[in-house]
Amino acid sequence: MPASASDTPWEPSQPILEIEHLSISFFTRLREIPAVMDFSCTVMAGEAMGLVGESGCGKSTVALAVMRELGKTGRIVAGSMKFKGRDLARMSDEELRHIRGSEIAMIYQEPMASLNPAMKVGAQLAEVPMLHSGMSKADAWALARQIVADVRLPDPDRIINSYPHQLSGGQQQRIVIAMALMAKPALLILDEPTTALDVTVEAGIVDLVKDLGEKYGTSMLFISHNLGLVMDVCDRICVMYSGEAVETGNVEQVFDEMRHPYTQALFRSIPLPGADKNARPLISIPGNFPLPHERPPGCNFGPRCDYFQQGRCDAAEVPMFPVPDSDRHETRCFRWNEIDWTAPPAAREVKEKAQVGRVVLKMEDLRKYYSVSGGTFGGGTKKVVKANETLSFEAREGETLAIVGESGCGKSTFAKVLMGLETATSGSIMLFDENVQSTPIQKRNTDTVSQVQMVFQNPFDTLNPSMTVGRQIIRALEIFNFGTSDAERHQRMLELLDLVKLPRAFADRMPRQLSGGQKQRVGIARAFAGGAKVVVADEPVSALDVSVQAAVTDLLMDIQRENKTTLLFISHDLSIVRYLSDRVMVMYLGHVVEMGTTDQVFAPPYHPYTEALLSAVPIADTRVERKRIVLEGDIPSAMNPPPGCPFQTRCRWKSQVPGNLCEVEVPPVQMLEGGHQIKCHLSSEVLATMEPVIKIAAE
Amino acid sequence: MENLSWTGATGPFLVPVITIAAVVLAVAVAGRILVSLAAWATGTAAQTASGPVLMARPRGLGRTLDLVAQVAIGLILLAILLIALAGFILPVQSKGIIGWATLRFWPVWAALIVTFTLSIRFKRRLGLYGKLMDSPVGMVGLGIVLFWVFTAIFASAIITQDPLGQLSGMKNVMPGSVVKNPTEGAFAWYLFGGDHLARDVFSRMVMGAQRVLQIAPAATVFAFMVGVTLGLPAGYFGGKLDTLLSFLANLVLAFPVILLFYLLVTPEMVQTGIPMYFAAVLFLFPVIFFAVLFNSRFKTNPPRRNLYVGVTLLLGLWAYTGLAFNADPIRYLIGRPIFSMDPNMLNVFVSVVFVNSPGVFRIVRGLVMDIKARDYVAAGQTRGESPWYIMLWEILPNARGPLIVDFCLRIGYTTILLGTLGFFGLGVSPESPDWGSTINAGRKLLSMFPHPAVVPAVALMSLVLGLNLLADGLREESLKD
Repeated sequence: MPASASDTPWEPSQPILEIEHLSISFFTRLREIPAVMDFSCTVMAGEAMGLVGESGCGKSTVALAVMRELGKTGRIVAGSMKFKGRDLARMSDEELRHIRGSEIAMIYQEPMASLNPAMKVGAQLAEVPMLHSGMSKADAWALARQIVADVRLPDPDRIINSYPHQLSGGQQQRIVIAMALMAKPALLILDEPTTALDVTVEAGIVDLVKDLGEKYGTSMLFISHNLGLVMDVCDRICVMYSGEAVETGNVEQVFDEMRHPYTQALFRSIPLPGADKNARPLISIPGNFPLPHERPPGCNFGPRCDYFQQGRCDAAEVPMFPVPDSDRHETRCFRWNEIDWTAPPAAREVKEKAQVGRVVLKMEDLRKYYSVSGGTFGGGTKKVVKANETLSFEAREGETLAIVGESGCGKSTFAKVLMGLETATSGSIMLFDENVQSTPIQKRNTDTVSQVQMVFQNPFDTLNPSMTVGRQIIRALEIFNFGTSDAERHQRMLELLDLVKLPRAFADRMPRQLSGGQKQRVGIARAFAGGAKVVVADEPVSALDVSVQAAVTDLLMDIQRENKTTLLFISHDLSIVRYLSDRVMVMYLGHVVEMGTTDQVFAPPYHPYTEALLSAVPIADTRVERKRIVLEGDIPSAMNPPPGCPFQTRCRWKSQVPGNLCEVEVPPVQMLEGGHQIKCHLSSEVLATMEPVIKIAAE
Repeated sequence: MENLSWTGATGPFLVPVITIAAVVLAVAVAGRILVSLAAWATGTAAQTASGPVLMARPRGLGRTLDLVAQVAIGLILLAILLIALAGFILPVQSKGIIGWATLRFWPVWAALIVTFTLSIRFKRRLGLYGKLMDSPVGMVGLGIVLFWVFTAIFASAIITQDPLGQLSGMKNVMPGSVVKNPTEGAFAWYLFGGDHLARDVFSRMVMGAQRVLQIAPAATVFAFMVGVTLGLPAGYFGGKLDTLLSFLANLVLAFPVILLFYLLVTPEMVQTGIPMYFAAVLFLFPVIFFAVLFNSRFKTNPPRRNLYVGVTLLLGLWAYTGLAFNADPIRYLIGRPIFSMDPNMLNVFVSVVFVNSPGVFRIVRGLVMDIKARDYVAAGQTRGESPWYIMLWEILPNARGPLIVDFCLRIGYTTILLGTLGFFGLGVSPESPDWGSTINAGRKLLSMFPHPAVVPAVALMSLVLGLNLLADGLREESLKD
């Protein structure tokens, strides 16, 4: 698009995006809520800028402000956002329409919500150049086909002629990326683009984004809460806290020589290799994230900071200080040059290892099949979905058993069967020496029910939207016969809120006033209300911020130690699994492919799937060398699983097995030393040649 | 005494103002459309030539026309307001029909002003109702609905003549006609004219509001009780229960409504006692609903549960015996019943509830099927909540948005249904001033004397419109935080 005469000419040596002292507020009926204050950042051409921070810190608001999509209530109160030298904040709607989609493109978290379900993928893609540069339909479709191939989707001709619902989540997100790239934008804004995807799929998308950034020279604003992901993708990083940028610089400098206490605290709260729940527990950040209208005077992080100095940190607003001898490294801290940044953290609280007791839960040969009818009127062939196949394991008192697997692996079905929401097709579940396999929840007594509880995955769905938070926790206390009076239950509810680090004022809030992470913590408080003995935690922290994750996992561990709770921790995040679990069970398409202690599973020999999973998890540590194994394709549908080994369609070791054994026969369970089980055809000699995926470089 | 004109003494000044303003408005609107079309045409042409050209558009003229149109609308509204307010100021002889009508409604205006002042003053503390004060659409809707509610309440103070009284020489007279041979102290005009039996249309319309608002909301509440109580288990449990209940609901829905009414309300049918059996079944549902509601909620606290369920059953069954069987036990103590219903009214009531509840049933069933897949329902199940607790306390509150909207709309349908019933002369006494009967009576002479039918028709329409706007406002505000 030709620049009109009034604009200053832009040269590639100048920043693509230059945000200066940007302040954004939302105006509600009650008050003005400042969402972003004095935010400055610069993105040069071809640079990838990571915007990291906890939810509510304003990172998405910045992205929306760049797109000028702040809605009716949001307003830019001060500052400027120069895109190629032109101020976005002062552009008219007409000008913005030309820039959006063609010069600046945005990729959102939920791919299905970004695609029109009634239009073919190709038509949606072709719309972009047809609209912005008046390209002919045939050319636009040809370009669409080429870009679809560029985002590494197999069979582009088929893909552009299919509807979004015919594609998997990972494929949809690739289409969204393709759509963003159709107009060859100068700036790409990615708002948590992989959060809704499985790790192995995420790894593919991240690789793709990186390569495309290099290929097209697109600048990126990459918003994420995942520090590891930012390290993988970005050149520069900007850490945000409570509406302010607190530290900015290039990724290596910020990761290795951070100069802001918040950044430091953040890194100490994520489970990097080497962290251990007993000997080297994570250090969660004390206190709570300040509410936007209750920010402290001076430094926003002050009240939670270890280096806080009264009369100085809370006296005046802190400006950004440049760090000398660095690559545009800046920090918003008065004391940055006084603090000894290399000092080890003050006295980590070393915790006693919980005693693993008797077996409380024992599953044997558990199978859960669903039958799905094919025809409209119940006729046709009946299909059987094998959600769980021969599941056998034991869980002991006080033990954390991690169940690892991506969506569709049958872990949620397993949880439902255990909870009694479904009954198993065959096999047995022994809970405290009581067979509950065919006892639905209505027939279980209150004790059994309160002893087996669940923490749900989706924080936006886990709480009843029309009941206050306090009321929901009190209800759980009531149903589990806790306490004798309302006052007692109310007190316990407040304690539970304290326990999950939520302000007591939240008791009277409605769930919609809470962030996703806060809701999840209420869900955890509710699950532990009845002093549960076995807790199934279904991806409880996958939607939470890193510092919150540490606090929540800590909380889970503390409660576990106290109550000797058995924790069945369902997750795909292997960092957190390595940190907190005693034993790990890896599932794929309803099969347990590997099981053993945490050390056994995280060290070779691996099952090929475990290996890929390990390599896919981003680790926010510059010392870690990771072997990149990107799995091809998607997880096959459970309706139509591949014959033989369930993993054979994506396995990179398949050629090491003689004949076509993998495609014919379900592999047997190999028992390795120390009770380590692997369900694979690979011979023990081949398994022994496997190299560790993660290496920590010597310091 | 002379016949009244519509506008009274203000007419000669304000009517020309309205006429001129209306002409100006029409011209301005037409001009604005042309200007926008021109701007659009030139705008796209400029775009294809040399990128975004913004300043070339003839914005000035468009804005002027917008302003002119706004001023014209303002003038028209101001003139109408002045004509109406003149009713309060001008002497008896110079008031117009509009002025008089405005004046007669003074208790309604006072009540509206008090309600809105208090509501806006305390809107932060009033929950969803308070939030309605932020939505212009909702406020207009609420205003119209409250207008009719207050009209019903203050009806006896508003009416100008006896709604059933027939005055000689007033048959089909035009609005504003002076009463011939008036009695001393009585109101001297038929404000909105007279009907074919020489009764005052204005007073009948006001009394009609009372009739309609006595039945419609209550019947809708009962229909909701029945529909919710059956729809929740049908949607939640599914299976055979759902199949059976849905089949029954479809059966009722498929039966022609008017025929059903004829059957239910005809005297022969009434004599067989069938409407009473219907009442016996339908009126039981509210009692069941509240008993189950409190039982599931307070099951963990038996003393409180017993209190709430006990009070519900006591009050509910007492009202039930009185309303359904006309056998209020109090009657034997103090000689007259507290809960009772006129048999004619009972028939109408039962038919309306019976016809409306399948619709509610289907909405509730669909909402439950959607909401029961949520995690918080699963959380309830995993902590061993009873199905009824989950249905009534976890699912039902989250279905409230569509239900509240449907409730408002359904009162409107019920109002229309009552009108239809009245139109066919079913279930109401022939003298009754309810809007449906009045419209039917006015229908016969519609081409010659439209006012006896038009006045209640406009009243009916405005009430239903108000309810719909209120529904919209509620839906909008309930979605916000």
